[in-house]
Amino acid sequence: MAAIESARALRARMFLRLLYRALTVRNGQVVVAVISIMVGAAVVSALASLYLDISAKMSQEMRTFGANFFIGPAPTAASRGIDLATYRQLVGDLPPEKLVGETPLLYGLVRLDLGNAVLVGVDFAGLRKIAPYWQVDGKWIGVDFDDRSCMVGRRLAETMELKPGSTVTVISEDRSRQTRLQVKAVIDTGDSEDEQMFVTLGLAQRLLDLPGRIDVATLSIVAQGGEADHIAARINEHFPGIVAKPIRKISESDGQILDKIEGLMALVAATILVITTLCVNATLTAMVARRAPEIGLQKALGAADRAIVGQFLSETAVICLVGAGLGLILGFGLAQILGQAVFSAWVTFRPAVLPLTTGLSLLAALAAAAVPIRRAVRIVPARVLKGE
Amino acid sequence: MDAITTSVIEVAGLAKRFGTVTALENINISIRQGEFVAIMGPSGSGKTTLLNILSCLDTPTEGKYILDGIDSSSLTEQQRTVIRREKIGLVFQQFHLIPYLTALENIMLAQHYHSMPLKDEAMAALSRVGLDQRWNHLPSQLSGGEQQRVCIARALINEPAIVLADEPTGNLDERNEDLVMDLLKQLNREGRTIVLITHNPDLGLLTDRIIRLSHGHLEDVLP
Repeated sequence: MAAIESARALRARMFLRLLYRALTVRNGQVVVAVISIMVGAAVVSALASLYLDISAKMSQEMRTFGANFFIGPAPTAASRGIDLATYRQLVGDLPPEKLVGETPLLYGLVRLDLGNAVLVGVDFAGLRKIAPYWQVDGKWIGVDFDDRSCMVGRRLAETMELKPGSTVTVISEDRSRQTRLQVKAVIDTGDSEDEQMFVTLGLAQRLLDLPGRIDVATLSIVAQGGEADHIAARINEHFPGIVAKPIRKISESDGQILDKIEGLMALVAATILVITTLCVNATLTAMVARRAPEIGLQKALGAADRAIVGQFLSETAVICLVGAGLGLILGFGLAQILGQAVFSAWVTFRPAVLPLTTGLSLLAALAAAAVPIRRAVRIVPARVLKGE
Repeated sequence: MDAITTSVIEVAGLAKRFGTVTALENINISIRQGEFVAIMGPSGSGKTTLLNILSCLDTPTEGKYILDGIDSSSLTEQQRTVIRREKIGLVFQQFHLIPYLTALENIMLAQHYHSMPLKDEAMAALSRVGLDQRWNHLPSQLSGGEQQRVCIARALINEPAIVLADEPTGNLDERNEDLVMDLLKQLNREGRTIVLITHNPDLGLLTDRIIRLSHGHLEDVLP
């Protein structure tokens, strides 16, 4: 038994020596094969890192496209709108990491110097987070206690002959309350906001005489799949006078864009893998052609087909593992560059990338090696040893 | 019948055809244990084809080839690989050493496919051909004569029944030719069966017997 083990050990040592020498002496083609695998593995690893991170990162990115969640009074509610304190409690219950921004909205009709307008009370800090796409001529209202400023929609500003810096008198519909405001900015959204005037929620509540009330609220929540529905269901269960629902159109387009981007990344990765496979195939084919006399000699000396297959498979596996290892490092760096360029965020290392990249690289390398190894096995020693 | 049982190589009615081309026709040869035989003939006479069949690298189209008691004419490729590994030592004109293995490792490679690579035995084989000081050299660091001696050491390492040498001095200068032929003669004196393929009449004279081929036919056997 000891003798058998010793023979195995000796044969294994010789095999490793063959492997080492074959890969390290005259190694130009080996380097080309390693680089091919490395480039493929780097792209796969970078895209896999992004892919695994993308749902979270992309959802976050998509939230710049507007609110995706609506909160309003239940149809059966006795009084107008929602109590602000209840709404604050509701927002406080949401997971902070999921909430990108929110604003309560209170609507009412007011009189201006040149006619009537829709006044909207908002939380400007929250509004700015959920509507970063608004074109603002002037400055955003920065603080919630700024009761002397307003932001005016573009079409309303044209009608009322207002521009940033202008002042306007705002009078309640029953003429019992009035205030003079400075226009801080004119906004352009391309939507109904262009005909509205925005003030702080507190000022709107006073002007409209609706203290502690809001009509509705819009939120921007990072939610994947059915998560938005679950959040809505939980709110509806815990707050009976309130209806919460995802804004379906935006949520669904988030998902569709994510699906398309993920599909595109998979397509790029697959294309790169195919190119890598072809590159490695060409290199291994050239290696086999160059080493045909050596393979013929090994067969003449009594090497079985499985020994030839084993040798080339092992060489391919080593080339692949070295290439994949280097590719993983390179790919992680590439993922950081892409992460910064596209999402302005560092990409987190995901352990799943390791087996995924190594597995796909091995698969590509083995597919690339299949034909060259078949050629190696089919080499006729008598021919190649005579130099044919 | 007696001749067959005492012969290492027994070839009877052997023919080899490649499509419509006949390379060998009705070859009958008997080589006894311990003989040193030259197979000679001009280019295209069928020497290499015969050597390929004798070394089990190829199979005959017709006839029988019995090597050390085994009918090798109808074996599968896998079985012929085993026969080559166990019974035949090959010496090539172009040496065919693996370029990235040292002299010692080239010899150990033959052991690796045969049984197990043993460094001491491989060193002894190198010493036998006078190259024990050059064991760690790559083929590119050895002269042609030295490479051929490594090739001979590799052919002998597994104690084969026969050594088949195909133009072993074809790429060597006169001094190295003498060295290699002296080595082969010495091995023969020690009891090795050696078949030498050559077109050099002077080398043929150094052997026990010359088998002459012409146009794929056995021309004569001398003496």
